[in-house]
Amino acid sequence: MQVTLDHVTHTYQAGSPFQSVAIKDVSMTVREGEFLALIGHTGSGKSTLAQHINGLLKPTEGRVLLDGKDIHEKGFNKKEVRQKVGLVFQYPEHQLFEETVAKDVAFGPKNLGLSDGEIKERVREALAKVGLDPAAMEGRSPFELSGGQMRRVAMAGVLAMRPQILVLDEPAAGLDPQSREDMLQLIFGLHSQGTTVVMISHSMDDVARFATRAVVMAEGAIAMEGTPEEIFSHAEALEKMGLDVPSVCKLGMRLRELHVPCPEEMFREDQAFETLLKLWKGEDAHGAQ
Amino acid sequence: MALSNITLGQYYPTDSAVHKMDPRVKILLLIALIVAIFLAQSLLAFLPVAAYLLLAIRLSRVPVRMMIKSLKPLRLIIILTFLLNVFFLQGETPLVDLGFAVIKKEALLTAVHYSLRLVLLVLGSSLLTLTTPPIALTDGLERLLSPLRVIRFPAHEMAMMMSIALRFIPTLLEEADKIMKAQTARGADFESGNLIARAKAMVPLLVPLFVSAFRRAGDLAMAMEARCYHGGEGRTRLRVLKCEKRDYIACAVTALLIAAVVLAGLL
Repeated sequence: MQVTLDHVTHTYQAGSPFQSVAIKDVSMTVREGEFLALIGHTGSGKSTLAQHINGLLKPTEGRVLLDGKDIHEKGFNKKEVRQKVGLVFQYPEHQLFEETVAKDVAFGPKNLGLSDGEIKERVREALAKVGLDPAAMEGRSPFELSGGQMRRVAMAGVLAMRPQILVLDEPAAGLDPQSREDMLQLIFGLHSQGTTVVMISHSMDDVARFATRAVVMAEGAIAMEGTPEEIFSHAEALEKMGLDVPSVCKLGMRLRELHVPCPEEMFREDQAFETLLKLWKGEDAHGAQ
Repeated sequence: MALSNITLGQYYPTDSAVHKMDPRVKILLLIALIVAIFLAQSLLAFLPVAAYLLLAIRLSRVPVRMMIKSLKPLRLIIILTFLLNVFFLQGETPLVDLGFAVIKKEALLTAVHYSLRLVLLVLGSSLLTLTTPPIALTDGLERLLSPLRVIRFPAHEMAMMMSIALRFIPTLLEEADKIMKAQTARGADFESGNLIARAKAMVPLLVPLFVSAFRRAGDLAMAMEARCYHGGEGRTRLRVLKCEKRDYIACAVTALLIAAVVLAGLL
């Protein structure tokens, strides 16, 4: 299953003196099975773009196609899009509202009109997926949990709809280092099990670690598109857009400045480790001569 | 989403002389204008009022379209006022016989008078809100009401409450919009169903909204305390309100207006 944005333009408050164009003539495809990272400066239109993928926002111009069918055409069942494409907003714990965790997670499946038994099963499955113990959690109030747990519950609420594409808006923002790593591993795990992931992120290190493809947004348009390797080889262009490169890339650049032989295509921690190990051994050998 | 259509107040930014006027003066002049409208006892006396308003609208460079839009919420009341007066007022000179009712000349004149009065009142007050940002309005109100401190009227606290409320309406709207979208993404439906179903559908929106409003209120109180806020006593202000030449000119023109209205009444 794939979602295609076809020349999508979105204008907020069109026609009023406050109108602003958020994205302009954007065309892109979310391919099945990929881990797509959306990068861009604040206000570059990433979130607006993300909300088009599951039809929450209707393009002012252009079309959004789900497997080739226009989702805003009359007669297209919006609930189908909402089920297939799950969207986790920034700080999703702010949307919790039910008395118990189980009820909150059940909100999505209930809206899909599933049977009680099916809902129960999905709630358990979703809670387990986000690493929470269903038996211990189900009866608790979501408001008495820790921040990290609340975010997991909110994620479970989206996962309970069993989406094939998961869109996440900065899922790790505001978490402590441990919860952050857990959250990223959780998302990576979902991706390995076959869920297509679209993740908005400000952390280039995360993008380098997990993404199979990245789209860079700038001023409402797509500025760059490609594998993380391709994107991060344009460090200067990224810097001009107010963006960063992974810290490993910076390390590489510093080393090359000092004429240390260090390959250009080094942008992940494991690659840096290998390179440094080689250099270390090489130097040893050099020193022994 | 439906919520993004709500514009708070109706401030329309241009950099006209009317916009730059002291909000205190604008509030007082609006009161003077209202007095003038009620003093006007004949259609002739409405002429200077209408001319005054037209001039002010022209000077403010607010599009006429926006002014007309401000009449929309009250259109029913204006039309009703007109119709009730036309059909139910007594008069002597019959004008048109509609078969089921006879429209009298006096009744028609009174109907026009009353509905025109309403229209002018709405236009006048809209001009104030269209040309003055809400914060400037509360600022002006606070200063105007501050003499009432003598009778222990909490002018500063009132104004501070109003400013905070106004300041947070857009924030809460944005928040509501976001929560609404998040719940819609989970398949919630806010738009269809009967009244009870719709009221029930609001729960997933209202609970998180209240939670966040209380959280924000707590944070704000903390931030204010951290900066030693202790009420209005001895506070200086960022924007010191000062009357300038244009304010005096406006006052003079308004005085002329009242004179003209009174004169028209004597004729």
